[in-house]
Amino acid sequence: MAVEMKLPPVLDIIRSNIVKYGNPLALKGGEVAAWAKSLNLPAQGELLFYTGGEYQLLPYIDTLVKTMTKVDQASKGFSLLMGVRNVLDKAGINAEKMYASVLAKDKERYNTVCYKAAVILRQLGYELSYSGEHELYSGALLYELGYWDDLRAYAPKVANVIAQSGAKTIVCLSPHAAEVFKYVYPKLLPDFAFEIKTFVELVWEKRDLLPQVDYAAPVVIHDSCRLARELGIDEQLRDILTSVGVQQREALRNRKWTTCCGGPNKLLFPEISHEVAERRVNELTHTEAETILTSCPYCLSALENGNAANAGVEDLIEFLYRGVKP
Amino acid sequence: MNTDLQKEFADYTKNLNAAGKDERIKTALTRAVHAYRSTVDETLQRFPHTPELAAEVRELKAEAVIKRDDLLRQAMESVERNKGKAFYAADKQAALALAREIIGKGKVVVKGKSMLGEELHLREDLEEYGNEVWETDLGEFILQLKHDRPMHILSPAIHVPREQVAEIFSKFFGKEVPPDIAQEVAVVKEFMRDKFFQADVGISGANVVAADTGAMVMIENEGNVRLATAAPPVHIVFVGVEKIVPTFQDAMKVAEVTWRYAQYGVPGYVSIITGPSKTGDIEKVTTYGAHGPKEFVVIFVDNGRSTMATEPEFSAALHCLRCGGCMYECPVFQVTAGHFGHTYLGGIGTVWTAFVAGGMEKAAPLAYTCLRCGRCVERCPMQINIPAMVGELRKRIVNGEGLGKEEVSQEEAS
Repeated sequence: MAVEMKLPPVLDIIRSNIVKYGNPLALKGGEVAAWAKSLNLPAQGELLFYTGGEYQLLPYIDTLVKTMTKVDQASKGFSLLMGVRNVLDKAGINAEKMYASVLAKDKERYNTVCYKAAVILRQLGYELSYSGEHELYSGALLYELGYWDDLRAYAPKVANVIAQSGAKTIVCLSPHAAEVFKYVYPKLLPDFAFEIKTFVELVWEKRDLLPQVDYAAPVVIHDSCRLARELGIDEQLRDILTSVGVQQREALRNRKWTTCCGGPNKLLFPEISHEVAERRVNELTHTEAETILTSCPYCLSALENGNAANAGVEDLIEFLYRGVKP
Repeated sequence: MNTDLQKEFADYTKNLNAAGKDERIKTALTRAVHAYRSTVDETLQRFPHTPELAAEVRELKAEAVIKRDDLLRQAMESVERNKGKAFYAADKQAALALAREIIGKGKVVVKGKSMLGEELHLREDLEEYGNEVWETDLGEFILQLKHDRPMHILSPAIHVPREQVAEIFSKFFGKEVPPDIAQEVAVVKEFMRDKFFQADVGISGANVVAADTGAMVMIENEGNVRLATAAPPVHIVFVGVEKIVPTFQDAMKVAEVTWRYAQYGVPGYVSIITGPSKTGDIEKVTTYGAHGPKEFVVIFVDNGRSTMATEPEFSAALHCLRCGGCMYECPVFQVTAGHFGHTYLGGIGTVWTAFVAGGMEKAAPLAYTCLRCGRCVERCPMQINIPAMVGELRKRIVNGEGLGKEEVSQEEAS
């Protein structure tokens, strides 16, 4: 017997935003692709650069979380507030107004991550294509949150956009996208036969060509759970940093034993998520490294939030770009 | 049907957030995690065959789930052959009814630590029925006096520091007990010593059961299980049906893997009990109840375990040895302790909550608390894929799907 369970509204909001708008927070395609304007990446090619809009939505996630922390999710007010986001197109309300508190510098920073990643890969000799404003979010959160039926219906749309690029290989900036494309999509779509790579893997393959990064202080890698445990990518990050001539420290819990940043339950349990993040930052700064590096948008955002220690927190992309002169 | 889980989530979240801000929990857990990891690292080096043994145990536990009906029958026959009494309880109500029937009223009962006991609320039920029941494990005893629930399956009072223990004991014993661990241990020993010998019934769980011999294997450090199972005239074992493995040799393998990952290193005591106490020393006439219990009873409890066994996505959760290693590795558990849990705790506890103790409504907030980060799987000697199971639970929650073969049975019914 099916029992309909009424869950906290944030889950359904994320779900319907993905299904309706192709993005967990209903960001517009043009907004998600704004970073690419000056690069003139072709829409077609064998190697598809895939952002999934994930770095771009980070500043908005934090605003959403801050709103949720202040408002009782079980209250009518919260449902109404989130409902506004949900019926965005019908009501004709500008999402930007609701997220007016998003800091311009955060927007700038996270949008630029995609730009920097594309520049680095191109400098290493990769020819990238990009779906631009047509690009759709992978749907990893549908899988994560239990909306598998929705993913089944949504995945063909994503696959269709990808197929139009004529790609053979997809390079994902987010390990979450890489995971869902690599392990879940082939089960839903038998024809989904693309080679799935992460940014880290492509860089690692041509690491000898990377420009040196002029950074004297030691850094520490925060292995993302998805990258280290699901995709088995850990040593590659160390190799890359060695190639660019940077000193590394190792946290006590690293590689397959890495501690989660707390990001995954941020939407429902923001306070616990914050505690977990703070403890992870402490584990990492205990090494006396000055900068924490990670290669996952959610880790980046969570560790920034938990960064009471005021360490530097950067995505590997941002860090490598320090050595790039475009 | 429509179930509004928003209040369930709101109440749970409030409690979880409070735990997340509790410095005592964080301090206690930080120490515990450190101690756990260093003991386990050290003993795995001393006993390097352990991972290989764990792999063997994984195989035999998987096999045991498949052969569960045969093994249960065989284990019950073995207990009876050994002059014990074997019962099967399909659910919690049946188990508690058996307990009331066998024990009766007005008895003194001494009890060892048991997660199944928590699942059944066994102590509370026997007390309500008019018995005096004592938790003999020190941690459980503290919680009994504190009217609290275990915050870790092996170190139930992990969240209670010595100062608080001293307060609780001073109040209970009606005398000043200083916040000195040795003195706190001593005062309980003195009190409990009498209870062991006054008791009419001793209750224990079992870490593993061998079907061929009917051997109940119990791992402990304190010695309370030894006394509770030997001193009273009646010993009742409550054990989940998933604990049964085919042979005595298998049981030894399970026991060794369990204690190694449960931070015992080498445990103080391992008890193997197969039946009532007996002697044949006078004229070779077997007489029961020599120094130990005259009566030996085993109650095998299902209570949702068979349903779990029929679900391919979840059956591996029955391989759980209850070593508790996963909890030490869980980033959420490290800041909230057992508040991330219902009766069963953490990620594995989420699955057990759904099937055995609480149902989907209680499991739902837990399922969304799990980070699905997967570090528990790295630690788990049974490599139980908790993140995959939590994913499957979430899917069923959003789809309003139940557990088990409900649809089939409805078809059968019509």
